[in-house]
Parts: sequence; C-alpha cells; structure tokens
Amino acid sequence: MANSMLKYFKPLTISFISISIIAVVAFNYLGTKSKSDYNTQVKPIINRKCIACHGGVKKQGGFSFLFEDEAKAKLKSGKYAIVPFKPNESELIARINSKDDEERMPHNHNPLSKDEISVFTQWIKQGAPWGIHWAYETVKQPEIPGIHSDWAKNNIDKYVLQNLKKESYTPSSSASAPILARRAALDIIGFQAPDSITLDFTQNPSDKTYEEFIDKLLSSPHYGEKWTSMWLDLARYADTKGYEKDANRSIWKYKNWLINAFNDDMPYDQFLKEQIAGDLIPNATDEELLATAFNRNTMTNDEGGTDNEEFRTAAVIDRVNTTWQTLMGTTFACVQCHSHPYDPFKHEDYYKFMAYFNNTRDADTEEEYPWLRHFKPEQKRSLDSLTEWLSNKISAEEVKSVETFIKTLGPSFYSMECDQYVNSSLIDTKWLSLRENGSVRMPQVPLDNNDQLVLTYQPYVKSGYVQFRLGELNGPIIAEIKWNKPMKGWNKIAIPLKTILGRQDVYITLVNGDIVNKDAPAVLFNWFHFTKKFPGTGDKEYLFYEKKYWDLLNAETVYTPILMENPKPYSRTTQVFERGNWLVKSDTVSPGLPEIFNHGSIKNPKSRMDLAEWMTAADNPLTARVIVNRFWEQIWGTGLVETLEDFGSQGANPKNQELLDYLAYHFIYTHHWSLKALLKEILMSATYRQDSKMTAEARKKDLFNELLARGPRVRLSAEQIRDQTLAACGLIDSIYEGPPVMPYQPEGVWESPYNSRKWVKSKGKNQYLRSLYTFWKRTAAYPSMTNFDATGREVCVARRIRTNTPLQALTILNDSVYIDLASQLVKASEASSPEATISKAYHLVTGKDIDDTRMQLLRKLYYESYIHFLRSDQIIGTTKTKALNLVANTILNLDEVITKS
Amino acid sequence: MELNEKYLAELKKSFIQEQTRRHFIKGSFLGLGGLAMGSILGSCKNPISANYASTLNPFALKPPHFVPKAKSVIYLHMAGAPSQLELFDYKPELIKMDGQLCPPSYLEGKKFAFIRGVPKMLGTTAKFKQYGQSGAWISNYLPHLQTIADELCILKSVTTDQFNHAPAQLMMHTGGARLGRPSMGSWATYGLGTENQDLPAFVVLTSGGNNPDAGKSVWGSGFLPSVYQGVQCRSAGDPVLFLQDPPSISRDLRKSSIDAINQINQLEYAEQGDPETLSRIQQYELAYRMQISVPEVMDIKSEPQYIHDMYGTNPGKATFANNALLARKLVESGVRYVQLFDWGWDTHGNVAEGSIDVGLVNKCRQIDKSITALILDLKQRGLLDSTLLVWGGEFGRTPMAENREGVANAFKGRDHHAEAFTMFMAGGGIKKGTTYGETDEIGYTVTKGRLNPHDIQATILNQLGFDHEKFTYEFQGRPYRLTDVEGKVINDILA
Repeated sequence: MANSMLKYFKPLTISFISISIIAVVAFNYLGTKSKSDYNTQVKPIINRKCIACHGGVKKQGGFSFLFEDEAKAKLKSGKYAIVPFKPNESELIARINSKDDEERMPHNHNPLSKDEISVFTQWIKQGAPWGIHWAYETVKQPEIPGIHSDWAKNNIDKYVLQNLKKESYTPSSSASAPILARRAALDIIGFQAPDSITLDFTQNPSDKTYEEFIDKLLSSPHYGEKWTSMWLDLARYADTKGYEKDANRSIWKYKNWLINAFNDDMPYDQFLKEQIAGDLIPNATDEELLATAFNRNTMTNDEGGTDNEEFRTAAVIDRVNTTWQTLMGTTFACVQCHSHPYDPFKHEDYYKFMAYFNNTRDADTEEEYPWLRHFKPEQKRSLDSLTEWLSNKISAEEVKSVETFIKTLGPSFYSMECDQYVNSSLIDTKWLSLRENGSVRMPQVPLDNNDQLVLTYQPYVKSGYVQFRLGELNGPIIAEIKWNKPMKGWNKIAIPLKTILGRQDVYITLVNGDIVNKDAPAVLFNWFHFTKKFPGTGDKEYLFYEKKYWDLLNAETVYTPILMENPKPYSRTTQVFERGNWLVKSDTVSPGLPEIFNHGSIKNPKSRMDLAEWMTAADNPLTARVIVNRFWEQIWGTGLVETLEDFGSQGANPKNQELLDYLAYHFIYTHHWSLKALLKEILMSATYRQDSKMTAEARKKDLFNELLARGPRVRLSAEQIRDQTLAACGLIDSIYEGPPVMPYQPEGVWESPYNSRKWVKSKGKNQYLRSLYTFWKRTAAYPSMTNFDATGREVCVARRIRTNTPLQALTILNDSVYIDLASQLVKASEASSPEATISKAYHLVTGKDIDDTRMQLLRKLYYESYIHFLRSDQIIGTTKTKALNLVANTILNLDEVITKS
Repeated sequence: MELNEKYLAELKKSFIQEQTRRHFIKGSFLGLGGLAMGSILGSCKNPISANYASTLNPFALKPPHFVPKAKSVIYLHMAGAPSQLELFDYKPELIKMDGQLCPPSYLEGKKFAFIRGVPKMLGTTAKFKQYGQSGAWISNYLPHLQTIADELCILKSVTTDQFNHAPAQLMMHTGGARLGRPSMGSWATYGLGTENQDLPAFVVLTSGGNNPDAGKSVWGSGFLPSVYQGVQCRSAGDPVLFLQDPPSISRDLRKSSIDAINQINQLEYAEQGDPETLSRIQQYELAYRMQISVPEVMDIKSEPQYIHDMYGTNPGKATFANNALLARKLVESGVRYVQLFDWGWDTHGNVAEGSIDVGLVNKCRQIDKSITALILDLKQRGLLDSTLLVWGGEFGRTPMAENREGVANAFKGRDHHAEAFTMFMAGGGIKKGTTYGETDEIGYTVTKGRLNPHDIQATILNQLGFDHEKFTYEFQGRPYRLTDVEGKVINDILA
C-alpha cells in the first residue's frame, strides 16, 4: 500500500516524498521490530510529535527530549519518563499508551501509531541508547565501494554507481565536447571560454585533453573572480552600510583579497582562519588584517537618534549567525531567544559563542573604525623607515603600537562612548559636541601611564579652551587644548597628558571660547587615542621623523574596516540576553562551545583565534562537509544536503551521505583543504561529464537528479548571465582592482532618504567589468541582478533560490545593458553575411555550432526585422545592423544560453 | 501537466518539505492511505503546501483558512510617522500645558531619539471638531476626510517597540524590526495567489521623492521565494523596470522575437527534456502580455475628468494622488496587495518642511483629498466591501516639543514616539464609523485598547481569511509567522 502510494505521488510533487519516506520508515518499523535506531527512527518521531512541548522552547511537566541527561532525569511528578531497559517502568510508554485523553501523549493530538509506539518501546528495551546526529560526528575515513566499472573515472563515480545499481538505473552517456567545455568553463571561470582555450579539447576530446583544459581554466585568474562572486553572498558583502541612510562604505579591497586567495588556492582552513581571526595572528600582515573585513560586512546604522550599542550588538549577533549558518551549516539564530528547539544547543551557548566575537574595537561609528589604511608604495617605504628609526629609540612593542595606530587609527576611544552630557550631546548620535560650559565624562579610559593624547576635533568657534580633568568635573587637569584661529573640518592633534596609572574617568569641559550662540556646538570630538610621546626629542632627525609620522597619520588613503581585538583596557564582558532582548542582560559568560562540539582535538577554545583553529581542525564535523556540499551545490544546482544552511536534525537528509563524507574526508586529508583540487575532482568524474538530457522516464522517476544519473542542468546566476555576454563580446579583461563600478541602471532606483549619492554610469571600460565589481547597494541592489535572484545581502545569503519569472524575460529583452551588449555581440561576430554573423554570435555564447532549424528561425527573424527597419527608417546603412542587433538580443534570451547544460 | 511542474515542485521541495511533513502528519486522521486531493484541501493549514492546484503556478488562487472578508488590501503608509496629535488624537489638556517644562514624571526612565534633558510641552495649533454620526475627532488638517468620518475605523491606541524609522517600518510591514522577514504583501500573495495573472500580485507605489527609510526590504519577500516580493511600479518612467521595449522595437517585432525565442526553446525542450524550459516559454508569453496589461492599468490619463478632479491627480508625476488612483485601478484589475509609501512625514521641527504647523499641513494637503476620493471611489464601484484600506505611519510623535541636542528646535516639531499613535482602516469587513482605543490626557500613553503592530497584522490577515497563528513558514529550523509570537485579532472592530 505504502509503496504504491510512493510510486503514484513521487512524479507529481516532491512534497509527497516526505510522506513517502515516512511511509517507508513506517514499513521498516514493521519489518525491523527487533531494533530501533535513535537517529533514523526515534529522533524523527520526537521532532515531529513531541519536541514542540518537550524541547528547547517548552519543557512541559519538566520533561525535555533535547539532551540525554534531561530526558532521563526525574520528572516534576517524581517519575522517570525513560527508564533504560524497562519500558514498563517508563512514564513515556505509559503516557503514549494511555486511554485517558487527559493523560495520553501527544496531548490534544492524535495518538501515536502502533508502529511509533513500538519504536519507542523497543528503543527503551535496548537501553534507550542516545545517538549523535550524523552531522555532529567526525567524518570517518570512508570505505570506497568495491565496484569495478569501465564507466567510473574516479571514486565519486563509484559512490554514484553504487546508488544507481540499487535503483536499477544506468548513467547517461557522456556529454558532447562543446557542451562539456561550456559547462566546465561556466563552473570554473563563470563564462564560456574562448575557442583559443577550448579547441585542443573540443577538436580532439580525450581524458587527457579534458584534464589539460580543466587545468588551464583552473589556472586562469578569472577562476578567482567566479568563486569570489559566490563567497560575497556568504560574506554579505555590500558597498553600503545598510539601514535607513544606507550610505557608502569602502570595503572593496576585501573583494580583491578574496580573488587573490582563490587564485592562489589558499587552503580553505587558512582561508577561514584569516577571515575569522587574521588580526590575532602574531605580527599579522596587512593581507591578514584585510581578511578580517569578512566580519565588517555587517551593517552600520547611521540613522540619527539610534542607540549605537544596540546596533553594535546587532552586528556581533550577525557575526555569530553567519559563522554558524554559512560556514558550519547550523541554524543557530533561534538559540538567541531560547534553547534550540530540535538540536542540542542551550540558550546560554549562544552567548558563550558570542563572547568570541564581542570583544572587538569596532562600534556603530559613522566612520566604521578601526580601519586598515592602504598606503601607496612610497608611503609604505616612509612607514618602514619610520619604524626602523623608532626601533632604535623604543621597545619593539612600542614600535608595533605606533605602527598599528598609523595603519588603523586604533585602538581608540570613540566619542560615542562618553556619558554624563551637560550642555553637550552626541550630535546626530555620532560625534561629541560641547556647547558653552559644556562637559562630558569619558568613562574608564586607559590612561595607563601614557603621556600623550592624540585626538580628532573640529572647532566651530574662532577660539576656545578645553580641559581634560581626572576623576571628577573639577578634578586635576591632565591635558588641555587651546585654539585661537578658525579651523575647518576634522583636525588631528597630539596633546601632552599627565601620566596616571590604570583606567580612570576623565571629564572634558569647554572652559571658554569665542561663543556667539550658546545653543550651537562650539567644538566636536571624534576619537581619542592614549599613547606615548613621539620619542627622540633632541635627536637631530627628530623633526624629520616626527613629520613623517604626522604626514602618514594625516594622509588620505583608501581604507577598509577590519577587526581589531580590544586590548585589555577596552575589553568587554558578555552577558546572556534574557529571551534575546539585548536590554535585559543576565549571567556573564566566557567564550565557549556548545557541549556537543567540545570533544575533538581542540577543546575549550578561549579566543577568536582558538575558535578559528577549532573550526578548521580536521576533526571538526561540520566545516569540511559544509564547504564541499556548497561546491557541489554550485555545480549541480542542489547540494548533497539540500539545506546548505541546516545540517541539523531538521535539515534535509543527505542524498548520498557516503559520497558527502568521502568528499569531505579527502578534501581534508588528500587535498589538504585545496578548493581547486576539490573542484577538479568533481569535474573529472564521469558523473559530471554525463549528458544532462532528461528522458521522459527520468522526468518521472528522478526529476531533481537526486540519483545523479545525468549531468547538471542549472539556470545561470545573475552574475554569470551578464558575464558570459561580456565574455562573448570580448569585453572581459584582466582582474579589476578598484572601487565598485556602475554600469547602466534605470533612473530612480536609488532613492535613500538623507543620502545624496547618485548612480552615475561608469565611463568607458568600467561599464563592462564583470558583475562582481558592480556597486552593491543594500536597500536598492542592482535591479537586473535581483530579478535573477540576487539579494540585498543585508545579512548572509546561505542559498539563493532560483525562480523563473516574467521579470527575468523583460530584463534580458529590454534592459539597456543587454540591448547594448547585443550590439557589441554583433560587432564581435562581424562576418561576410548576416547568416555568418548569426552563426558566429550563437557560437560565441554557446560554444556550439548552430543547427539548421535554429538558423532558419533566426534568419527568418532577421529578414522580417530587416524589412521592418527598411520601411520605418528608409536608410539601408543601419538597417542590417539594427536587424542583427535584434537577432543577437534574441540569442541572449534563449533558454540554452542562460542555462548551463 | 508538465508545465511548470519542476519549478513548482522544486519551490515546494526547497521550502515546504518540513512544514508539509509536519502538517500532513498532524492531520493523521487521514491515515497514510487516505491521502487524496480533496482531503488534503480539507486539512489545509498552509495553502501552498496543501493545495495541489497551486503547484501549477505560484500565483494560482489558493483558499485561505476561512472565508475572507476582504479580497485585496490597500495599505497607505506615511513614511516618517505623522503626528497623531495634529490629526486625530485631540488633547485640550496638552494645549493648556503648551510651553511649560515637561513634568519629570513623563521623562523618568524614558528614552527618546532626539529629546535630551527637559523639553517643553507642545499643544497643537490644529483645530479639532467631531464629525459624522460617529462623532469622530478629525482636525482641520484633513478637511476632506472629515466628510467621510462615518466610513472610517480610527485606532487611537496603536503602539510599537521601535522608535527609529527603518526598524519601525520593518516592524509594521514584516513583523520584525530587523531585515530579512517577508513583508505582509508577500505573505498575502504567497497564501492567496492572485486573480489577474497578467499583473503583479503585489504592487508597490512610492511618492514624496524618497523610498521609505527601510528601503525595499519593507516589500521584500524575506525567506519566502523571491517571486512573492512586491513589484515596484512607477508613475513616472517605465511603470515596471525593463517593461518597455527599446524605442526601435515595435510590438510586431517584439512578438516576432519572442516567437523565435519560444520556438527555439521548444526545440531545446524536445532535445533536452527539461520542464524548466517549458516554464520559461510560459514566462516569455506572460512577459509579453504584461507589456500590454501593465501600461494599461498604470495609465491614468484614460480616466474621466471627474475622477481626476476627485483625486487631484497630476498625470506623469510620482504624486500620492496619482498613486491613490492607481491603487483603485490595480485593485479593480484584481491585484491582491497594493502598498503605497509617501515619504516626508517626519516632523521634528528642525526645518520648516518638517514642522507640525507648516510641513505637516502641506503633507496633509497632498493626501487628504485623494484618500477621501479613493474611499468614495471604491465605494461607488462596490469595491470597498472587498478591499481593506489601512492608513498609518511607523510610530507616533511626542506631546513634548523636540529639543535636539538639548536645545529647542527652530520650528514646532515633535520627536519620535513609540507609545501611542493613530491609524485608521476602512472597508474590507471592518466596522465603519468606529473609534477604538484611548490615550491619556496628553496623548502620551495608551490607557485603553492597547494595540501593537502584530495586532494590526493579525487583523489584516484575519480579513484575508487567515488565522495568523497557523499561517506559518518553515525557516532556519522553525516555523515563522508574520506576527512572530504575538498578535491578537482586534475583534471589536470587525463588522
């Protein structure tokens, strides 16, 4: 019965498959009464029927199924729900069998089926052995299926074949060389490769020429661009800060860091370590610092009147959620408010984990400090000579701190951290402003025996006098600023500071000034850096090097927001937020992992660096599985675990767990975290090389290609659709390193309040850069890309969901970008006859030679439009081109063009 | 049968598998053998997962949980937050206190966006009277609306927990203050589909020169499939981005090129056998039809002069009046959810345009006549009963004058205020001529009938036929709803 249902429903719609699976499981229960497996039999019933009331959110009757110790503990009633080996003494069994509606569980729901009851009974009889969810178990060395087949090219194929045999299925034949060449090029570099690269393979297809072709593509710099496009979704990369004003942000250098890392095939473990904790690597290089911009892609709120601590906290929470969701395939966000409803994570675990990220110097400042300032070569040389000179004067540690300050403007105290405002305010909730007789407190700043204060201020009055007083409003003066000429904009100055030990309160007061309007700001302050005096007074080179110091400090540079761990005096404690409300704080927690993950080679990581080590340890059960699954998804359109973002017990079950584990294990131990090697292994498989044609039988039996009995067939991403057109027109050049560009965009898309920035079309070549270089505005992302399922990237995008809509058709038909590119394609395809041009244009985007039927259809369109334009324009000169442009645009719209097959 | 099959099945597979499993199994009175279409429809908790018909088209009509009162929604959002104290919430006591320092009891433990120290109380300069049989208080800022007081249901006791624009707007439309949740229009079209397949199901129109503070996320689809996001239609330029053919391409040529695309796609299907290709053919046909139907419905010039006079329209401009008329046309053509945002209601008193006695009067003039016209126009066409109209901002304004940075502002203005504001509804099965809820004598806090955005959302969903507690979507391992873990239908205002 159940099996016939399965046959009937499966081809109709996949939703029914879940039913069918349950039907099959139910079947198994009957057949395997002797043994109940926790993970495959017991846990699914718990998740479905019990955990809503007895889990991480509610614990009715004091009973929860989430953790073994809780489940086997004494209930409120004094009884035990589960008494191992003794179903008759277990309250659980009594309750699910009860005839009394008030007693019977699930309460107010239909009783469990006989089979379900027997699963529980049998399981308790076995001693109620708890299991660990598959994805939380370390990947074990897999046993490669002992299948001998001429078809198989590598081990992937053996796993696939093993599955196919079970279903009495056979693989498809191999795809033709031009199709395979296009498929591989789209997967490696993101667009159809030119003939000059494909010809060796397509004219003489063999394993050898195919491998050479793959190697050529893997060594192309465009490989890095293509895979960076993917990573930007995970990094929630955008060129704006988000929220109301959604003002611009300078973080594009991080994009180039990614491109280089991918192209250099930086091992994935190192790739993650640098992005998570590059700043904590001893003597971190600029590149390692730049990598941490990964976590500065969180949003910053510039809206006036907002609570800066609230949005700093929101950014930290985002870092936690992104780490789990995109890098470790775990839904952790729900733990923010309560224990995980289904997976073994306690409410407190969230905040223990947050503590790893909660101690960085960034806050919700307008300028997004701290920065990595990117110096030009001559500035770099200047900095080198300065540090060399300094190292003869002061300790290495002190030199390092001067260098760090010059490079990052940190660590600094931000004016938004002040309190006790009198005749003063945090203007627009951003900068400290003092009015007549104004004062403010800087709570617990690190005086620490420092003797100099470097600060930024902006006087609005001609002259003024500001004092810094220790401990209280009329405490001793420890520093002062006087000015007596008008100044414009922000100014950096260094003032002497009395040496005081430790952390103390300091009050800033505006003593007097040339004040015209007592209600208007007289002076603004931005940040304060407590440090040591520039050394070497008296040295004959003192002035020379001191000038270098100030020149570097004041230099206008490209910069990138980065992570900087708080030095001791600034360190924060982390507290649990009651029910996720950041205003209601309870217990203080130290950094730590959920218990289930604390059993590997790295236990109790203490710092963000330790955390990165734990994430990339060979025995971390999630990191490798998640990335190989993501690569698989990029190639096949669906992951081996379909829910890329959720490997937990509520996520989709792996379609071929043995294959997933094989890939993960070899990724770590054979490929040593090399992503290029992983990609190559997948692409070299016979499985990948199959034809993607779908027979009527395949549509019926395996619509979603879960068995992998045919090659991948997936609609291209938003970026690929535009990029392959650029490539066909011969417009793709070398890697671009520069601020984001603005290709054509219709008027009126950018209309953020209080933000005068305009979309100004880039000039010349910059209009035709690959899509990953296009300016990404969070509240108004590039519309033709969002029509193809790109998002605003307000938060990380763990998975883009492909849709198929009329707006997509309208985009390629009418967006000026594609109209323009169609004409460029005609130019690139110039030939002796219209037919020859059409044929060439078709070849440039598909890599295939056009067949007669297609040619006839396009030729017909050509002549029809030729006649139309001839009639309407009465000029022969442009008629031909116009008609060809329309045909080229038609080609760009074809399903076979926007699909990888 | 195959048409769209893969796409929709995939949609379902990707999103609804878990939910489906839970919901289907819950209704286990069916038993496994009893799964048949009719019974699935009967046990439907989630329309898209349970209604097999929907698998043919994500916008196919789907039945909600119960018979709906309203078929469509027009939501008028005044972005920036209009002052309730100048428009509906009449407070003579506050007028008496005008200019006095705010009593400390109002400030203790309170946090404001811009008020610092001790501000002064600010009485209104608007003139209030009661109107209609219901005796609703409406100020002289809204002279047209006064004439239809008996059509309105005024909610004086709305509160929120956000006092910054972007998060408060998100709260109002997505049920959460952070980005990433689906908007109400996405939920509605996901749950109900739409009647006119040639028009977008969820249309957004903006006026006032800026997008709302929270950007396009207030009409985003969040974690729902992106087909359900609002389509921004524009009264100036292309009504939908990329809708218009390039200048040299005539309709005939467009038809020929789409024919060529679809013929080649047919070949592709014959060769490759991917149902997705068939779906693409259908999308190109739909795109071609939209190119005709959207400009038609978006063209207000064809409306008779008396309609233009009634609304105060100005064709070709992105005005609120034009958008109000468009809202009627869209609903009339079967669009499910129409969302209007009008920007410029943030009356802090720091500039004249942002003051309660100058800027606010001008803003009211821009909307008063056209909202009144919209309600009367819907009524005369017999559409008001099936159309729920909602008006409001994202929060209210303080009874105190704003003193930004602790200094009195240059003009009369009020700070953001989350603890009391006014919204109104009309049509769509809502009791007319009603006023619900009360605030204290200065309009500072709610004293009776406290409402929050989730209550408003629960009520809107209720009028569309949904039990907001059961209308869920599985994401990140848990079922999400528009109303989060809150929300009560405001039963007292249902007709």
